[in-house]
Amino acid sequence: MMASRDPVAIQTRGLSKLYRRVTALSEVTVTVPEGRISALIGPNGAGKTTLLRVLSGLARPTSGEVAVLGGPPSQDPAFLASIGFLAQELPLYRRFTAEDHIGIGAHLNSRWDGPYVRQRLESLGIPLDQPVGTLSGGQRAQLALALTLAKRPRLLLLDEPVAALDPLARRQFVAHLAEAVADGGLTVVLSSHLVADLERTCDHVILLAASRVQLCGEIDTLLAAHQVLIGPSKDTTAIERDHTLVHAVRTPRQTTLLIRRNGPVADPAFEISDVGLEELVLGYMGQQAGPASAHLTMIGEGQ
Amino acid sequence: MTWLVWRQHRTQAYFAAAAIAAFAVLLLITGRQMASQYQAALTACAASHTCGNLANTLNLGSPVVSFLVTLTVAVPCLMGVFWGGPLVAREVETGTTQFAWMQSVPRSRWLAAKVGWALLAAAAWGGAVSALVTWWSSPVNALKQQNFQPSQFDIQGIVPIGYAVFAVALGITVGALLRRTLPAMAITVAVFTLLRLVVGQDFRSHYMTAVTKTFAFLHHLPLPAGSYWQVSGGVVGPGGHISSSTLAGSGAHLSIDGLPVNLVSLPAACRNLAFQSPQKFFPCLTAHGYHGFIAYQPADRYWAFQGVETGIFVLLAAALIAVTAIVILRRDA
Repeated sequence: MMASRDPVAIQTRGLSKLYRRVTALSEVTVTVPEGRISALIGPNGAGKTTLLRVLSGLARPTSGEVAVLGGPPSQDPAFLASIGFLAQELPLYRRFTAEDHIGIGAHLNSRWDGPYVRQRLESLGIPLDQPVGTLSGGQRAQLALALTLAKRPRLLLLDEPVAALDPLARRQFVAHLAEAVADGGLTVVLSSHLVADLERTCDHVILLAASRVQLCGEIDTLLAAHQVLIGPSKDTTAIERDHTLVHAVRTPRQTTLLIRRNGPVADPAFEISDVGLEELVLGYMGQQAGPASAHLTMIGEGQ
Repeated sequence: MTWLVWRQHRTQAYFAAAAIAAFAVLLLITGRQMASQYQAALTACAASHTCGNLANTLNLGSPVVSFLVTLTVAVPCLMGVFWGGPLVAREVETGTTQFAWMQSVPRSRWLAAKVGWALLAAAAWGGAVSALVTWWSSPVNALKQQNFQPSQFDIQGIVPIGYAVFAVALGITVGALLRRTLPAMAITVAVFTLLRLVVGQDFRSHYMTAVTKTFAFLHHLPLPAGSYWQVSGGVVGPGGHISSSTLAGSGAHLSIDGLPVNLVSLPAACRNLAFQSPQKFFPCLTAHGYHGFIAYQPADRYWAFQGVETGIFVLLAAALIAVTAIVILRRDA
């Protein structure tokens, strides 16, 4: 595993967030290098929203360290200008038009690309002069995304950004994001509970489950480090000793193992295949659901 | 920020401006009529030497307009409920704080602009309504000398500005604490009304020590000059105040020179005379060492009282805004 040479956009250490007695984040340690599109994946209630809100500065951690673009999230205008955060609820002023929102952005931001929003909405056929409340859910999502991008942030934090979009619009939006990242100077973290939406575009993944990090790293590195073994139902102690077992499905006739590899797999009884992101994610989520076997696995840069 | 505040609240501002313009037209027309009616009555009574009784014989203005003017006592509360209550609460409720707070402007500036303009608007509108009412009431004030009485004191001069600023600050703070608009509005009404009643009834009369005047019965009551505010009154016996309007106990009451007196507390020798022979009743009381008194705030303290009451509510408003700032800046969005 190669240590990444890119500067770090997000670094948290032992980050925890408690709401009264409910733990939303527990000992979250993640690193996202600059220039990545990171998929923040996890089931509902895993803490994805809380993590994004802490990174944006909207919420404060209960304990632990957070560094975003080199410093802790703050109310400093320069920090705010460099962060684009879009909440899942797509918070917009329902009685204002898109044009009103462009005006607000122009007044409240030192760096603001109003023409970009207009052009983007026009190309999508979204009216600029209608109250936002009268737009469809998908149109509102496109407007909110365009307004978030118009700040020209260095870090984009998007909470379930594609949830309100139809499949075609999802694909187009993710492609649009990839273009923006390719233009340089932008890092994206976007959350979703659907892996399929993100697999094509993301190059980094953070898997949260039950407020803990299950997996964090470059997708390619992670996929290369894992393998699926399918074989007869037999004793797998030897494999478990040599490699790290992530998840096992045992039926009377067949055993399917997801392992993190330590060197080549020697057992000829098993058919060895590469793992896909969805399989990997489900494996780690299944592991988390299992009894007492849950443990933090950190793979990727810095190790 | 000012641009956003204006864009968000301009409809309210237009509506409030239209309401106040309509109110101004009404008061300017009826106020002028009333002023000339009063002048004419003064000229007429001077000719017939009956001006001493003018307050009892002259009815100024229409009852409808007078009623409308007394209703302005509710204006600060309405501003607190409809401007203050939703100001922060609605944005939190609809999530738009997450939009506003993620622009390149610190939350403190967002709050300062919103709260600053809201309080300024409250002061301006409260002051405008009060100025109109005060001007409109000037003939009534001159005739009835009642502008120190609670019902008039509360709607004239500068206190409505203090009330308005406080009410809006209260609405903002309750909204910021509860993060929900409707409960914030309801609690604002309740707390504002309660506090106004408590301050008006229990605190205001103690801003300065009341002046006490005593007088013998059957002599002309030496009324203080001008629009004084009578705080209490009653009868003083050899053992001190035996009864007053604020201390009246149970039992039969009668009125002596307009002051309520508890009959049981009077000497037995005089008690029966009260109904049998009023001519002997008062000399009997005087002979037993009884005399009347009133406690009042003189007319020339009117502006001092206005100042103190306004100051109290403005200081309370400042304290509330400090609480709001702590809540907004420290708590998660």
